[in-house]
Formats: sequence, C-alpha cells, structure tokens
Amino acid sequence: MFLFPRLPATRRLRCEALRELYRSYRSENTCEARGLRLLREWLSPCQREQFNAQGHFDVIGCDSGKKYRIHCGTAMNVHEIDEAGRVRLGLCFAPKGSLVTGDVMLAQKIALETFERRALAVANRCLIVDLRSNAGRAGRANTPRPST
Amino acid sequence: MAMQIVMDHNGDTRHHFDPNDADALAKAERRFKELTGQGFTAAVRIASGEVAKISSFNPTAEETLFFPRLIGG
Repeated sequence: MFLFPRLPATRRLRCEALRELYRSYRSENTCEARGLRLLREWLSPCQREQFNAQGHFDVIGCDSGKKYRIHCGTAMNVHEIDEAGRVRLGLCFAPKGSLVTGDVMLAQKIALETFERRALAVANRCLIVDLRSNAGRAGRANTPRPST
Repeated sequence: MAMQIVMDHNGDTRHHFDPNDADALAKAERRFKELTGQGFTAAVRIASGEVAKISSFNPTAEETLFFPRLIGG
C-alpha cells in the first residue's frame, strides 16, 4: 500500500519549503512577470506608486501636455483624460508583434512621453462612455478614410 | 557593464557589453543600427523615470531599450 516511507516532519517541511521556493521562482520568471518587472523599473517613482496602488498610471504627452492613463492590457488600454479627470477617448496602439503586457505598456509610455504626435498618428480611437457623467456615446471615432 | 534590452515575444532579450572594450562597443553599435534600421525605437533613462528617445548610438548609456515599430490596434 505505502511504497514510500513517511518522511519525518522536519524533512517534509523542508521539502515543502523547497517546492514553494521553486514555484515562486517559476512564477517570477515567466515572460509576463519579467515584462511587468521591466515596466516597473522604467516607471517614474510617482507612476510606480500609482501603478502598484491602482493598476494603472498616468503619463503626460510631450507635445500637447495632455494626460493619458495607461491601464493594464495590450489593446484599448490607453485613455485620454480631461482636466476634470474624465475619460475622453480610448486609444489603441501598440508595438508590432506579440509582446507581453508589461512591454506593451512600457512602449506606450515611452511613445507618449517622447513622440506623442507620431504615436497618435497611428493610433485608432474610440469614444468612451463615462457612466458617471452619462455623456457621450460609445462608438468608433476614427477619421473616415477617403474612399478610393 | 552596459546593457541593450530588446523587447520580444519572450519578454525581452538582454545583451550585456563592456563599454571599455572597443570590440564589444562596436558590436553594440552594430546592433543598435540594425535594430533601428528595422524600425525599432531606442530609448534611454535620463533620470529616475524620465525617458528619452535616441536616434544614434550612445556609448555612455547604461541601459538602452528597444521596442518594435508602433501600429494601430
């Protein structure tokens, strides 16, 4: 019935501790975890604090001075925020290729902080319904492409 | 040791090099030109959390980050 003899309590505890250590090492070294770690390293102290507390962080566009909020995600995760703190617009742009979440968010931060106009030129936009103000209607707000 | 961090589907790939080694520096500069030639954006940290986009190789940068060209989602 029992092929393996019962381990003494101290040895069993040591095995469990080792297993837990291995599990945490594995979880900290996934692609996603490494991406989020890189993001945190490159955030300003304020942004890092905001990201840790709220799961998103704000950046200021280098050309317009507008405020953008970058949420955790890889698509439609950038929102333009107005002076009153309301969401005005959703923006969708990301680096080409399938990158992990932290990398996408870091590229979005750097783009808005260093070449905002060029980043916005490629971004798709969509209106965001702010339920608090009950204003605006959801829908795509892309500039219509000229018909060819 | 200086480092070039290239974002990819695995998270990132890091290339360490000694900025005092002429060969390593030349290799890092070649990598910089190759990546930016492919459309990657290069950025460095200039202060705590402040970032700057660079268009030419900076041999004094401790960390240079590269990410692929941006596209609309």
